[in-house]
Amino acid sequence: MSTTSGKAAVPVAGVRGGGPGTAPFPATGSKDGHDDGRRRGRGHGHERGRGRGRGHGRGMGVQNWAGWLFSTPFLVLFTVFMAFPIVATLAMSFTDFGLRNVTRPWEANFIGFENYTKLFGDEKFLKSLFNTGYFVVVGVPLTIFLGLLVAVLLNNGIDRARTFFRVGFYAPVVTSIVAVAVVWRFVLDPSDGLIAGLCAELGLTAPDFLGSETLAMPSLIAMAVWRNLGTVMVLFIAGLQAIPTEVREAAKLDGASAWQELRRITVPLLRPTLLYATVITTIGYLNVFEEPFVMTQGGPSDSTLTVSLNMYREGFNFFHMGYASAMAYVLFVVIMGITVLQLRLLKDNTK
Amino acid sequence: MHRAARTASVAIALATAFAVTACGSSAGDEVAADKKQTLTVWAMGAEGEKLAEVAEQYKKANPNITVKVTPVGWDVAHQKLVSAAAAGKLPDVAQMGGSYLGEFTELGVLEPVDTKTFDKKDFFPAGWQQGEVDGTSYGVPWYVDTRVLYYRTDLAKKAGVDKPPADWKGLRDMASALRDKGDSKWGIYLQPRGLDTVQSFYPFLYSAGGEIVDKDGKAAFDSPATVKALKEYGAYMKDGLSTKSSQPGYDPLKDFNTGDVPMFFSGPWISTLIKDQYPGLKGKWGIAPVPADKTSTSMAGGSSLVISKDSPHKAAAKEFIQYLTDAKGQADWFERTSDLPANTKAWESGELADNPDLQVFKKQMETAKTSPALAKWTEVTSKVDAAIESVTQGKASAEDAAEKAQSEIENLVK
Repeated sequence: MSTTSGKAAVPVAGVRGGGPGTAPFPATGSKDGHDDGRRRGRGHGHERGRGRGRGHGRGMGVQNWAGWLFSTPFLVLFTVFMAFPIVATLAMSFTDFGLRNVTRPWEANFIGFENYTKLFGDEKFLKSLFNTGYFVVVGVPLTIFLGLLVAVLLNNGIDRARTFFRVGFYAPVVTSIVAVAVVWRFVLDPSDGLIAGLCAELGLTAPDFLGSETLAMPSLIAMAVWRNLGTVMVLFIAGLQAIPTEVREAAKLDGASAWQELRRITVPLLRPTLLYATVITTIGYLNVFEEPFVMTQGGPSDSTLTVSLNMYREGFNFFHMGYASAMAYVLFVVIMGITVLQLRLLKDNTK
Repeated sequence: MHRAARTASVAIALATAFAVTACGSSAGDEVAADKKQTLTVWAMGAEGEKLAEVAEQYKKANPNITVKVTPVGWDVAHQKLVSAAAAGKLPDVAQMGGSYLGEFTELGVLEPVDTKTFDKKDFFPAGWQQGEVDGTSYGVPWYVDTRVLYYRTDLAKKAGVDKPPADWKGLRDMASALRDKGDSKWGIYLQPRGLDTVQSFYPFLYSAGGEIVDKDGKAAFDSPATVKALKEYGAYMKDGLSTKSSQPGYDPLKDFNTGDVPMFFSGPWISTLIKDQYPGLKGKWGIAPVPADKTSTSMAGGSSLVISKDSPHKAAAKEFIQYLTDAKGQADWFERTSDLPANTKAWESGELADNPDLQVFKKQMETAKTSPALAKWTEVTSKVDAAIESVTQGKASAEDAAEKAQSEIENLVK
């Protein structure tokens, strides 16, 4: 789920590039641009005109042809792997698509909103919705706060070994979830794990983290926070370095303490980064799948069953494709709603 | 431009739709068995790797047939097979786990077994039943497995037990003795909850005479026998003889080695694993039949070989399967993999006839019960998993758990 930012960024940027009205490639303008500054300026002017589709006939033809040619690979991939599945899933969510329809899709029956109404009477689904909410409400603030903390410390505090720490905090992001699971299982193992060992030294008995209905979810959240901290940290470090040093120096001259500097200068100027990090982390956590899938399989007693995991089971274990598709769309609407809300709330605060 | 964009996307969508449907109609004309041809075969896990060797050997005797084996990991096997079935791209021959057959029959992609070539009488009944759906057979049994009791003989001796338990009372007494008088942490490992707990529960369920779905395909989980089995199973957790909590994918072998877990139920592959991984245990462990209640009945598993309905090489595929499942082929396969032969004739000579451990498996296999090949079997067993969990965690009585599962299963099987 840490790659959500990547997934989200690709289609958005791509749609803009390939969409009507913009010029995906500068065409002749850039070729001229290599010669000298004067001509480059003129080239840009032409390009803007054509971009709106009001240029002269011949130039526009060439440009369109080249534009479409270059965007075809993307368009094909986008249609096959994004647009088509999205539409097919929506259509499927109104049918009783099941196992036999895998080879005979035309035999699926249209059942209207039945899947959707069934969802909200499904105890398991409601539980998974609650679990996902729990994950987001606890996980997102923790990830953002700790990510910011680490970024500020790395940016200001430590001069030596800064690279070492950056890499250290980022390593979990690029590590395969399977390897991560092995390590975390060892850490959490109640009989001979790391925490159990420490507890034993102190004469205590370690709790059975993944086997307890109350502790399993917090354990997975801890793991997810550890795993996603690096992504958020990198964003914040980039944001911090974009803050002009003059502003900080001026604040220092005025006698601002480190805390005041953080509150009055750093955080407000980081708002755009903060907004972005919060939104992508929230979307990622709403989709959380890997942690419960590899660590607990949704157990014990469904206490770590998330919406994505539930969807996966319904779809690929039981072949309730129609039902799973409806679940996917409910999740989609929830994510959309929360993201819009976050954008509104956090943006208004900047004024 | 707007129009162009729309035209382009419509064209691409149409092309995609065409490509998808075109994949679905790849069935060609039948090829005779003696013509030169290539057979595609998918096999899983260790079988996938070993089968290539057999394919080489087969080519020597049948130079016109090249067998191309693709090993598929068990973890991805199910999805790969389903997507292949959806696209009409199943291999000519595929290995299938017993629990898959119901689904794939429902998909209508399997060729019925030619019962003139393959005789039901040659195989263990449970092995053959795995491939049977509504009286028609779709899979030829390739190898079988069943669960028996593994126990530490040295620890048992220490705890004052000199022979393996014969019935439920004996098993419970032995577990208590091992925990209380031996050095073991637990008495036995029985999976307390999670995915496929049902597999650990089968020896109890079947021995008590219970079942999940009866012969007529109706839900039958609320019988007194089931309740009795659930109670017995739950008692191990209640009395602290078996752990109440275990991680997904827990393998008791490590704790069997240390002695923390001195007994557990498992299949034949475990003997090979113990010999390979824990040579220090040599002479310190044994296997015994499932302790009896009404009977001593274990679960049967294993794999079958199926032929794809769309395959143009059915004749050659049939001959290749015949080669793999006749007595000679099966004995050879046992040599290579230690998989238990599904063909009973293969058990008549060599190690299979002489090794006392293998005889335990053979005896258990003769009465072992197989799960019915139902399309929704995975979903049915997930309800049973939940019922067992509610009992082992002390959240419901055996009666209530059985009743709840019964009504859920009724909705699934009708």
